[in-house]
Amino acid sequence: MKGLLIFLTALFMGSILTAQNVDFRRGNFKDKPDEFKSAKEALDKGEEFFKVAFDAVFEVRDPGLNFKKALQQFLIAQELNPDNALNNFRIGVCHYHSSNPHQAYPFLKRAAELDENCDPFLPYYYGAALQLKGEFDKAITYFKKFEDGYKKSDNFSRFVSLRRNECQNAKKAMANPQRVWVDNVAEVNSEYDEIAPSITMDGSEIIFSSNRPNKNKPNEVSDYDHEIFSSYFKDGNWQSPSALKGAVNSKEDDIVNNLSYDGTRLLLHKNNDGQLDIFESTLQGANWSSPEILSRQISSPRANEVYGSYNHDGYNIYFSRDSETRSNGFNIMFSGMRNKMEKNFGAATMVSEVNSRFNDGPVYLHIDGETMYLASQGHESLGGYDIFVSKRVQGAWTKPVNLGYPINTPYDDFFFAATANGKYAYISSNRDGGKGGYDIYKITFWGPPKQPLFDVEDYLLASIAMPIKDPQIEQKVEVNKVSLTVFKGNTIDAISRKPVQANIVITDNKSGKIIERIETNAATGKFLLSLNAGANYGIAVEAKGYLFHSENFDIPAGSEYNLVNKEIELKNIAIGSTIQLRNIFFDVGKSSLRSESNAELDRLVSLLNEVKSLKIEISGHTDNTGSAALNDRLSQERADAVVRYLTSKGIAANRLTAKGYGSSMPIADNATALGRQENRRTEFKIVQN
Amino acid sequence: MDTNTFFSRAIFLVVAVLIFSPIYAQIEEDLTPEERAYRDSIAALNEENEAIAKSQEAYNKGIVLFGQNKPAEAIKAFASSIQFDPNFTAAYFNKGVAENEINRFEDAIKTFSQLIQKDPSYAKAYFQRARAFQGIGKYSEAEEDYKKAIQLDPKNPKAHYNFGTLQFLQQNYDAAIQSFTKTIELKGNEAFALNDRGSCHRMKGDYAKAIADYEAATKKNPNLAFVLNNIGTTKRRMKDYDGAIAAFNRAISIDDKFYLAYNNRGTVQLEKGRLDDAIKDFEKCIAIAPDYAPAYANLAGLKFKQEDYKGGKKAADKALQLDKNNTSALLNRGMINEMLRDMQGACADWKRAGELGSEIGQRFYANNCGF
Repeated sequence: MKGLLIFLTALFMGSILTAQNVDFRRGNFKDKPDEFKSAKEALDKGEEFFKVAFDAVFEVRDPGLNFKKALQQFLIAQELNPDNALNNFRIGVCHYHSSNPHQAYPFLKRAAELDENCDPFLPYYYGAALQLKGEFDKAITYFKKFEDGYKKSDNFSRFVSLRRNECQNAKKAMANPQRVWVDNVAEVNSEYDEIAPSITMDGSEIIFSSNRPNKNKPNEVSDYDHEIFSSYFKDGNWQSPSALKGAVNSKEDDIVNNLSYDGTRLLLHKNNDGQLDIFESTLQGANWSSPEILSRQISSPRANEVYGSYNHDGYNIYFSRDSETRSNGFNIMFSGMRNKMEKNFGAATMVSEVNSRFNDGPVYLHIDGETMYLASQGHESLGGYDIFVSKRVQGAWTKPVNLGYPINTPYDDFFFAATANGKYAYISSNRDGGKGGYDIYKITFWGPPKQPLFDVEDYLLASIAMPIKDPQIEQKVEVNKVSLTVFKGNTIDAISRKPVQANIVITDNKSGKIIERIETNAATGKFLLSLNAGANYGIAVEAKGYLFHSENFDIPAGSEYNLVNKEIELKNIAIGSTIQLRNIFFDVGKSSLRSESNAELDRLVSLLNEVKSLKIEISGHTDNTGSAALNDRLSQERADAVVRYLTSKGIAANRLTAKGYGSSMPIADNATALGRQENRRTEFKIVQN
Repeated sequence: MDTNTFFSRAIFLVVAVLIFSPIYAQIEEDLTPEERAYRDSIAALNEENEAIAKSQEAYNKGIVLFGQNKPAEAIKAFASSIQFDPNFTAAYFNKGVAENEINRFEDAIKTFSQLIQKDPSYAKAYFQRARAFQGIGKYSEAEEDYKKAIQLDPKNPKAHYNFGTLQFLQQNYDAAIQSFTKTIELKGNEAFALNDRGSCHRMKGDYAKAIADYEAATKKNPNLAFVLNNIGTTKRRMKDYDGAIAAFNRAISIDDKFYLAYNNRGTVQLEKGRLDDAIKDFEKCIAIAPDYAPAYANLAGLKFKQEDYKGGKKAADKALQLDKNNTSALLNRGMINEMLRDMQGACADWKRAGELGSEIGQRFYANNCGF
């Protein structure tokens, strides 16, 4: 506990020691009389400049070089005595009104620490420095403190009120930043001031003013005059700036105001016999002409005119003008060209809708002709100059709206030049974090919030989800391998060899179906037809007065010449005639008739029915294979089987006899297979007619 | 073949010629001119019959191959059949069907056109040729063929159905509704026709009727996950997000590999502000279908919303790797590139999307690119 007490006491004493105000009294600098004398003289000089500048600020006038001159003096005194509250305050104020206002804060803070009552304006300026740092609540406290202590009945209260409102505006704006990027255009900026950017419509060239060192002599505070520079955008970067070509730059400040949309004319303001007027320069080839002062309606002999801007058609001019009779600083004016040939402008009128009680301008008219961007220290600024937008609605300009943070900050943010599509704009600002003084910044507008795309997918048509196959092909067919063979022949009398007209019936033995009935030619006995190859056929031939003739034949598939020739001999029905029944078939080694035999047997039945007088002998024959007894029995049984068939069809038994001859009556050589086939046969013989 | 075999065969041939040539010559001499003409006509007939038989054999072989899911080989067999018998209309038909099956639509059109020239009343040929025309995007020709097929065979539900889908694709939704209704009346594929009619209503903005038809389709066939998916996407449009999620859940319960349902459910989760659930759904979709570009595009959009621009770019890159013409991926990547301060990349993406027909791409490019 005791230790803590000692620590707190030490801390308190230390704070007293570090916060002790040291007056500029000779007694405080007994060992430095010469330095004290110089410091005192500097203080006196500085105070004069300071007073002039201070008064100008409160009258919303340009303080000129007075703060800078004052600062030079105060800094001399500061070297001897850095602990004087009032000097720190004054240095802080000088910085606050410079192009590097962020440098004010440490001096004003020090002044407040040394003696809060060193100057009645200290709370105001300290609050303003805190405002620049974004410490808005704290700043408001100091502004309130200032108001409470400030008893003069002048109109300074409007500045305090403005600052307080700015803090409130800034808090709101910073809580809802705009959808932009603000980037320092480092390629064109320097530690000096870069102001008044103008951009060509295609974004390829930027023109601006800078007081960086140049060929002219610096002024009494070692500042160079502003000259107009140009830089080209190449390969994604701004190139190193160079002074604008031609006779546009002078030995004094040349502040570019606005570039016409076609890029061939520019407005600038400069000193003209002790006051500022607006001039115009035109592009002639690659060089800009010597500036010519604008019409007296704009560049009047009684007031300062600055920040001219062409409107979208290039002939009407908006600009800012101050007035000796008013204390509202510069106001935005408008003058329309009456005669384009004579460049004769009409009387300038104030654009009252957009003006405030403080400095207004620079102004910039967008190419759409309906949008004005203006800088102002008034309206709802976040601090210093801010950029506002106003729209022309039904012929009148709307109340300017702050472009918001981070385009605007508590520092000075002014000038505005946009590309044609409004995506990019360039401004000047002395915000903290730049290269020094005023810098040029590029604003990239994101535009309205972009909503990402989310795809859903569905199969609205079922056939897409499950493709309908329709492979309903036609069915198989039965392959029909039909090959026809020409079957030709003739029917002749077996004995006389004369043609005999006969009826021929051809039967497919496999199916038993009659496939053809033909009658041979009466004169020639010829016949001609086609039969499917690859089948076995029975042919039955009938002719009046002749014995029925039948035979069995194959037409092989793919017959060699597609032609079969057959000569059919017919026999008279004479007693003793023997006719072979070639289409009677038995099971092998048996006497059971096969159904293929029916057609032949039925033709025999027909013959017997037709010729009632016929009596016949059915004879069975075998080849000589096997035993004679067996062949005899088999041939007899086969003859009997035929007789049974015939009787079953109504033929009287007494007209029929059956005889088995075995192999005893061969008609061919049993030594060959063909001969043996010939010998295996059934015959009938006419025994009575 | 050894020398002995060669000589024995040669001798056999010589003998055969010597034996049979005189016989043949004798027969030839015996023939009258009329008989010879008759014999020649039969020989010609035999040749023709032989060709027909070969055509039929090739045709049957084609059917077997087609049944074995070898359409390319089947086409060869049918072509051979046609070569042997140029009048075999069934072979033309089957060849055309096989060509349709493997998307040889130009060939199929040629084949069916030959068939129709031979038999203008072949209704199925018009139907199949219409399918082929549809396959190559010749909708007006397809429409004419479907009309002809319906004229020749008005009770063919498939012709009505396909005609309906064609009308749908041409955005003639009223005509499509009529065709699908006819399909349903003819007891064609009712579930499909109901689904498609529902989609017509949906395209007309009549979501209630669409849902009714979709639900009827699920009653006809409860196992059609895509119909439930359609219910889900329709309810999403109706902003009935809970209903949509329920439908997607049903689709997934039928087919847990139905990646579209996961993707679509993810987009509904987004609408409900359930970003984590949406991510899970998109990732599940990708796990099932790693080549499905829209899921990556959606994931990119979601990560853009989350301001995870690097993650979003990775997803969009993948989507475009899979499908370089995915306009949503291009638009989303453009937005991401913009936020990554790559305006050149952003403008290139928006420009490409615009070239692909995206109005948003064209607008973004016009408003954000150039000066």
